[in-house]
Amino acid sequence: MSQATELLRKLCCVSAVCALLLMAGVATAQDGAPAKSAAEVVKPHAYVSLDPVPRGKEFQVAVVLEISSGFHMNSHKPSDSYLIATNLTPQLPAGVTMVGDITYPAGKNEKFPFSPDKPLNVYTGSVTLHMKLAAGDSTAIGTTTIPMSLRYQACNTNACLPPVKIPVTAELTVAAAGAKSKAVHPELFAASK
Amino acid sequence: MNRAYRTFLPAIVILVVAASFSGCKSGGTSGGDSSGTAAPLADEPNVTFKDLQGNNVTLAGFKGKLLLVNFWGTWCEPCRGEIPILIDMQQNYASKGFTVLGVATNDDAKAVDPFIHTTQFNVNGHPMTMNYPIVMGSDDISTQFGGLLGMPTSFLISRDGKIIKRYIGAFPNGDQINKDVQSHL
Repeated sequence: MSQATELLRKLCCVSAVCALLLMAGVATAQDGAPAKSAAEVVKPHAYVSLDPVPRGKEFQVAVVLEISSGFHMNSHKPSDSYLIATNLTPQLPAGVTMVGDITYPAGKNEKFPFSPDKPLNVYTGSVTLHMKLAAGDSTAIGTTTIPMSLRYQACNTNACLPPVKIPVTAELTVAAAGAKSKAVHPELFAASK
Repeated sequence: MNRAYRTFLPAIVILVVAASFSGCKSGGTSGGDSSGTAAPLADEPNVTFKDLQGNNVTLAGFKGKLLLVNFWGTWCEPCRGEIPILIDMQQNYASKGFTVLGVATNDDAKAVDPFIHTTQFNVNGHPMTMNYPIVMGSDDISTQFGGLLGMPTSFLISRDGKIIKRYIGAFPNGDQINKDVQSHL
């Protein structure tokens, strides 16, 4: 290989490494700013514990929140009153009632570069919220939905995104009282029974 | 040479693609306290804020002063973290024709008013409340500033109303922003 070719090879290798680093930077953030909008940070998924849900039976809904890597959000009980708590608000269909309160997981106390001395109580990664419900005798038979609104406020290690409300919907099938039903997604509900 | 070309082509393609991505970033955007590329100076937006009493405050009314417009919220921990730096700057440079203008992004001024009057910040070992003017922001105002990618976001605006620099994220310390302000006073 000639000297010129060798030089070109080295130049290209260095350039390729620089280019990959640049591209990685573009994918994660722009100048320290969160690379996602507030509504994109959390992907919520709702699961129902029974299929179908017979009238007269209690059932559960689990809402799994997948929080984007590099972000955190305040827990349901944030470390200070001025911080915006994570809250889930369901709109129950006729005949469906809540049994107790929504169960939120405990947050983790973590320190961040912008709060080096004071740990903040936050959620990161994946967290699951639970609620226990009952399908009353007047619940419409067939497929129904439970629309919910999730309010949260997220930050990365450098900046925060404004508080946001995003929708999440649980879908269930209601059957006549005494109908056969099976437990579904047991891995999500075993711990909260 | 053909073999060499085939070997290096993928690297060249990666370089061109990455360069085109990085070239798309607008000039003058800078994260946190880091210095950014010098921006082609843009005119400040023609914005009218409301102060906490509901009175109009125009951005144009600050012409003649070096202005640091700081978008923040009482709910935003990194915003609170940099407030001592802003108080200190206001204290040091206000007499030289500089002011911070805090733009609160809270939905309601009712949460902001008690906060600015009662919350004490540790400024060089001294407890101090916010000592610079505060107005209320809105989605429309944020849009006029080009949209906010995160909070806090600050804009340094020259005495003749040109946006000099944008800072996204909290200032980790006062070094860079003090340097920038001093160089434009």
